Amino acid sequence: MSLRVLSVNLLKNNRNFIQNAVRNSKGPGVQALALAPYATQVTVQATPAAVQKQKVSKAMKAYLERAKEHDDFMKTQDLEFQIGKRHLANMMGADAETFTQEDIDEAIAYLFPSGLFDKRARPAMRSPEEVFPARKAAEFDETGRPFHSMFYTGKPNFFQLLHDIVEETNKLYDLEERMLRRGNKPDENQKLETAGFQLLPKDQLERVLVEHIADIEYQNFTNAMDRLISLPYSYKSKAFIERYLKPLIDQSKQLEVPKPKIDDQGRQYITTYECLRKTARADVTVRLPGTGKITINGQDISYFSSEECKEQLLFPLNYSEMLGKVDVEANVEGGGPSGQAGAIRWGIAMSLRSFVDQEMIESMRLAGLLTRDYRRRERKKYGQEGARRKYTWKKR
Amino acid sequence: MFRKQFGNLSRVSTHLSRNVLAARVASREAEMSTNAAPAEAATAPPVVNEFRTGVGNPGEHSEVQIGKFYTIPMQEKKQIFSGGGLPKQYEQQIKTFTEACLMVRSPALELLNYIKRADLSKPVVRYVLYGDNGVGKTLSMAHVLHYGMLNDFLLVHVPWAPNWMKRPKESANSASQEGFIDLPFDAAAWLVHFKTQNSKLLERLQLKTSKEYVWSKRESTPAGSSLIELVEHGIARIKYASETTAALISELKQLATAGQCKIMVAIDGYNAFFHPITRIFSDNKQRVSPDRITLTQPFLDITNYDWTNGVCILSVDKIAMTEGYMESYLPRYLLGKEGFEHLDPFVPVHVGNYTEKEFTSYIKYYLDRHWISKTQPGFEEQLKFMSNMNPYTLMQLVRGL
Amino acid sequence: MSMYPSHFAEPSLKKETNRSSASHIPVKAATNDLSDSIFYGELKNKLIKYITKKGNKSLARELLTETFETIKRTQIERLILAGTEKENIIIDSEQLLKNAIENARPLLQLSAIKRGGVKYQVPVPVTEKKSYFLAMKWLLDAAREKDRKVHLPEKLAWEILDAACGQGRVIKKKNDLHRQCESNRAYAHYRWS
Repeated sequence: MSLRVLSVNLLKNNRNFIQNAVRNSKGPGVQALALAPYATQVTVQATPAAVQKQKVSKAMKAYLERAKEHDDFMKTQDLEFQIGKRHLANMMGADAETFTQEDIDEAIAYLFPSGLFDKRARPAMRSPEEVFPARKAAEFDETGRPFHSMFYTGKPNFFQLLHDIVEETNKLYDLEERMLRRGNKPDENQKLETAGFQLLPKDQLERVLVEHIADIEYQNFTNAMDRLISLPYSYKSKAFIERYLKPLIDQSKQLEVPKPKIDDQGRQYITTYECLRKTARADVTVRLPGTGKITINGQDISYFSSEECKEQLLFPLNYSEMLGKVDVEANVEGGGPSGQAGAIRWGIAMSLRSFVDQEMIESMRLAGLLTRDYRRRERKKYGQEGARRKYTWKKR
Repeated sequence: MFRKQFGNLSRVSTHLSRNVLAARVASREAEMSTNAAPAEAATAPPVVNEFRTGVGNPGEHSEVQIGKFYTIPMQEKKQIFSGGGLPKQYEQQIKTFTEACLMVRSPALELLNYIKRADLSKPVVRYVLYGDNGVGKTLSMAHVLHYGMLNDFLLVHVPWAPNWMKRPKESANSASQEGFIDLPFDAAAWLVHFKTQNSKLLERLQLKTSKEYVWSKRESTPAGSSLIELVEHGIARIKYASETTAALISELKQLATAGQCKIMVAIDGYNAFFHPITRIFSDNKQRVSPDRITLTQPFLDITNYDWTNGVCILSVDKIAMTEGYMESYLPRYLLGKEGFEHLDPFVPVHVGNYTEKEFTSYIKYYLDRHWISKTQPGFEEQLKFMSNMNPYTLMQLVRGL
Repeated sequence: MSMYPSHFAEPSLKKETNRSSASHIPVKAATNDLSDSIFYGELKNKLIKYITKKGNKSLARELLTETFETIKRTQIERLILAGTEKENIIIDSEQLLKNAIENARPLLQLSAIKRGGVKYQVPVPVTEKKSYFLAMKWLLDAAREKDRKVHLPEKLAWEILDAACGQGRVIKKKNDLHRQCESNRAYAHYRWS
C-alpha cells in the first residue's frame, strides 16, 4: 500500500521534475515548448516492479500504450530530423553545427523547386514538434486521478486561463482601490498600446491551449480580456496580456508606391496592369499634366452607357481632387459594364497614389478605393435553387 | 387633394405664362440682371446677361452671341412648332421654365450665314446637319426655322421623318398609284402643320395652283384655286391627303422657280427615306421599302436641285434608322448609296459637343432657372466629366439633381 | 469564400485627420454604388435598392431620377406662383426626400408577444435603421397602391411631397401606428415579462 502511494508520489514528483528538466534543457525541444506550453513530452516512468502487479483498467492500459507509442514516435522523428539536417548540411557544404531552420528552408527550396501555388503544399523540412500537432501530456496518473483540478470540465487549460484572467482583474481592482485611497492616479505614459494589436483569433488560441473551444467560449474569453485590457492599471499585467495579443500588420505602410516614369512628351505617367474585378481585366495609364480627358478602348467616357459606371470612374479622381489635372487611358476587356468600371476605378486609384501625398493615400485606403475587390459570383449549390435561395418549403 | 389643386394650377400657369406671367418673370429677371430693362406689359423685355442675349431675331445673330440664349416668343413658337419640331423633353422644359430659350451655337450660325449669303436664283443648295446622338441637330434646325419664318420663307417642315416609317397611324393602299401605300392620317397631320406654319404667308402672297387636280369622279380642284384651298381639301378628305401633299409640293416647286415665293425645306431624320425597310406592312404581311410609300416621293422630289429660290436643310441621324444599330454618324454611311447619289452634291455641317464657353453658359442658365439645386464647389467639373460635354447626356444627368 | 474576414472595416468617405487608430485595420473595397459625387446620396441609394425588382437596378435608378424630376418641376411651378414666400419652398428633391423620410419615421412599433396563450400587440421601440427602412417601405407601398394607369415616378413624387409637408397616407399610417401603440401602453411590460 505504502509502496503504491510512494510510487504514485514518485510519479507525480517525477512528472514535475521531468517537465522542469525538459523546460530548462536547451535543444530542439525548447522551440516546441514555446509554442505549446501546455503540452509537454509524454513521460511514463517505469515503476518499481512491485507496483506493476497492480491491476490497471483496460482503458488506462490502452491510453498508456498510446502515450508510449507517440512518445517513441516523436523520438524517432526527432532523431531522423537531426540526421537529415546533418546530411543536408553536408550536401550544401555548410557547417552542420550552425545550420539554422532558415538555411534548411533555402536548401529544400533549391533542391526541390516546386511550382505549386499554396506555400503549405510545397516540400518542407521542419522539426517534428512543428509538424505534428501538440498533444496533451498525461492528464491523470495510473490510478486515474487527474493532475489538473479542472480536469473534469473537459477543457482544463481553457478554464484555467479564464480563472487567471479573473484573478488578474481582481488584483487590478484591489490595486486601483488602494491607489485611490492614497490619492494616486494611474500612470498615463505606461498605458497599454492596443492600437496595433488584436486578440488571438480562435484557431490560434486553440493551438496554444491544445484544446478545442466553442464559439461561445471564445466570446467569453474575448469579453474577459477586453475588460481586463480596459482597466486603468492594465499595464501592470502587461506580460500576462501580451501572451494573448497578436500584432496586426500596419496597413498603411504595406504597399509600395511606384515612381512615375516620363514619356516622350515629357509627361509623368504611371501604368497599372492587371486590374481585375469580377472577370474584367484592365490596364490603366494615368498621365500627370493633363486636362481630365478619359479614353477607354479608344472611345471617350460614353463607352459606358449607364450613369452608375461613369460615376465609378469619377469617384477616385474626385475624391483625390485630381479631376481636371490628369489624363486617363484604359484598355479593358472581359466582364460586363459594372465589372469593367470597377476594374478601371481600381486602376485609377492605384495609379493616383504616385501623384498624391501620404495623407490622401491613407484617405483613399479608408474609403475602400485601394482594396482589391476579390468578390466573385457565389456558386449554386445542389438541393438549392441558387447560391442561397432554397426551394420553396412545402409542409406536405 | 393638395395634388389636385396644384394639378389645376399647373394648367393655369401655362395660361398665365403667356401674358401676365411674362411680366412677372420679366420683373424677376429685371431684379436679377445688371441692366434693369423697363418691363413691358405684353412681351418679356430682352434681358442681357452673360448667358442671355437681347437679340431676338436670328438674322441678327453673330459670333458675339455664341453661347448665349435668346428667347422665342410664345406665339411664334406655337406657330412654327405646334406640329412637332422640338424634342419632347425640350417641350417639357419650356413648360417648366415658362420660356422657350435656344442657345446660339456655331453650326446654326454657319448655316444662317450660308443662307443669308446664298444666291437664290441658282439651283437649290442642300445642307446636311450631321453629328453624334444628342449634340443638337434638331435644335439647330429649329433655330434656322425661326429665322426662316421671320424672313418670309415658306416652310416645308417635316418634324421627324422616321415617324412615318416606324409608327404610321394607319396605312392604306393607294388609290391612284398601283402597289403603293399611303398614310392618310400622317399626311393630313402634316398638312395641318403646314397650314399652321404658313397660313399668314399664304394669305399674303395669294399663291394659286397652276393646273387642275382630279381626285375622283366628283371631286376636283380647278386650276387657279389658292393653295390654302388645296391644303384644306387635303385635311378634309383624308383619303386623298397623300396625293394632296404630292400635288402641293409640286406646285410649290413651280411657284418657287417662278419667283413668287421662297421656300425653306427642313426635314429631320432624312435618312429614314433611304433605309431598306420600314415597319409598315403591305396587304400580304410583308414589309415595304420607303419608295413604295407615296409620302416619300414628294419629299425626295423637293430635295432635288432642279428648282430655284429656296434652301434645303436636312439632318441625318443614327436613331432615324428604322431598324438596326448604326455604327457611324457620318452622312455617307447613313444615307447609303442611293441617298448619297440623290443628295450629291450637298454641304455637310457638323454639329459637335459643347465648347467650354457654351457649357458654362448652359450651367448658368440652369442655375438661373433653379433647375440645378446641388451646387457644391466643383459640381461643374463633375458634370463636365460625366457628360463629356454632350448636350443630351448633360440634360439627362441634370434631371435628377 | 469571397466574403471578407470579420475584422475588416467598412469604407468611409469622410476625410478625417485623426486616423492613427485605423491604420492597422484593413478596409473592405468600396461597392459599385458608393461615390462622393453630387449624384450620390445615402438615402437615395437605399431607396433605389428598395425599388429594385429582379436585380434591375438601372431601371430603379431611372425611375427615381424621373421622380426627382417630377418633384422639381412641381416645386418650380409653385415657386413661380408663390411670389412672396419664395424662401420656404425647397426645390432640392433630395432634401425633400430626407424631410419626407424624417417625418415618416416611426418611433415605436407593435410586436406580437404571446403570454398565457394570448397574443398581445406590445409597443416596442424601433432601432434607427429599422425606422428608416419602415419609412421608405411605406412610401413605396403607398406609391404602388394607387391606380395602375399612373406610373410609379409620378405617384412616388406626390407621396414624397405630401410626406415632406406632413400630410398624406404615409404620415397617416405612422400616426395610426403611434396611436395604437399609445393605446396599448398597458401591455408594454410584457416585453420583459
